[in-house]
Amino acid sequence: MTDPVIDIQTLVRRFGRTDAVNGLTLRVQPGRCYGFFGRNGAGKTTTIKCLLNLLRPTTGRVQVFGLDPARHELAVKSRLAYVPDHVAFYPWMSVRDTLTYCASFRAAWNMETERALLDRFRLIPGQRTGHLSKGQRTQLALIAAICAEPELLVLDEPTSGLDPIVRREFIEAVIGAYQDGDPERRTVFVSTHLIAEFEGLIDEFTIIDAGREVLTLDADGARQRYQRIYARFAEEPAPFALRGARVCEQRGRELQVVADRAAGDVLEQLRAHAPEVLTTEALSLEEIFVSTLRGREAAA
Amino acid sequence: MTVDMTFGISFTSGTPVYLQLVEQVRTAAAAGAIRPGDPLPAIRPLAEQLRVNRNTVAKAYAELESQGLVQTLAGKGCFVRPTPSPYRKDVRRRLVAEALDAAVVHAHHLQIDRDEFLRVAEERFDALVARRARAAGITP
Repeated sequence: MTDPVIDIQTLVRRFGRTDAVNGLTLRVQPGRCYGFFGRNGAGKTTTIKCLLNLLRPTTGRVQVFGLDPARHELAVKSRLAYVPDHVAFYPWMSVRDTLTYCASFRAAWNMETERALLDRFRLIPGQRTGHLSKGQRTQLALIAAICAEPELLVLDEPTSGLDPIVRREFIEAVIGAYQDGDPERRTVFVSTHLIAEFEGLIDEFTIIDAGREVLTLDADGARQRYQRIYARFAEEPAPFALRGARVCEQRGRELQVVADRAAGDVLEQLRAHAPEVLTTEALSLEEIFVSTLRGREAAA
Repeated sequence: MTVDMTFGISFTSGTPVYLQLVEQVRTAAAAGAIRPGDPLPAIRPLAEQLRVNRNTVAKAYAELESQGLVQTLAGKGCFVRPTPSPYRKDVRRRLVAEALDAAVVHAHHLQIDRDEFLRVAEERFDALVARRARAAGITP
């Protein structure tokens, strides 16, 4: 087993009396694209700030590349790049000067990638960053992040508030320009609630709620584990118990069920009632997210 | 040359995305849409186009290579191999039998009897032959 790129153990970060992060543990292996999902205020940004030494943990341990970001800030930051939700540049600087400025802090800078991405995003090198739209500022931040060829790309709600075209191009650039470099040394850690857009990119994810880990799974495994089963009967069936199904919705002759792990068993139970139609479909990651957090609310 | 091969993926089919890509290449090869010597799309543009992880496409191509369907030429890309199946006949029979078992069970639950099932199987086989012939530019 290789050493994880990110290793968070029972992290707690308190603000006054509020535990923004409350005992979070997660591990990201190199080369993975790791999704970090949670509602607003779940503790995503606080966690990311602890990775970047923008905040110190109250208790618990955070390691990036096996190092403590507080004690080895330079060593950690030289190997990662960060694109936040709100991007700010010096407004008087041009796009060109901003990239040169960013490059001056970096050991490596891929000029070919820079040219290709400026072109793809249709950014004008002479334009002042103060005149850029929110989408263009995010694009510029992504160019600065990718050109440095970091081993870890940390994205915090990178596409929220952007239009669909910009969001699409953003994700394509992460796949194409970033991931193509050296797949084994290209790790992505992305926090988002626009889960559907990143679905194809994610190979593992953690859902957090109230500062704690709720669910960690690899994406293919998750989609196989959670199945939506639809059954239609000839007549409205008398109520019957269904083992292994999490959410039930019944409208007359129709029944919709979400099975967690036990899809085969649930299908067998339904077949015993001779349905006219019986279909099954995997849940998307977004549906798994919603169903997991709704399930917790119901249980609370 | 470019190969007319369109990929489509679904996150709700219950099949891992890389296996969906594998199946689509296998289907295209069986139908003659791609032929021995044809290149598969390069990994990066295909991953961007489908907006899936680059590793997913790489994994699909590695799986196709291990199945003997394609070969990777260093610096050139991935190409469909001339003799697709390296398996012996009995192994090939077993693999088809396994796939058919699933279809037979499916048919049972949909009240499709043996004769009707065999008719459907013949139809599907003929449809594939027709597609191959069309792809080869021959009118059957």
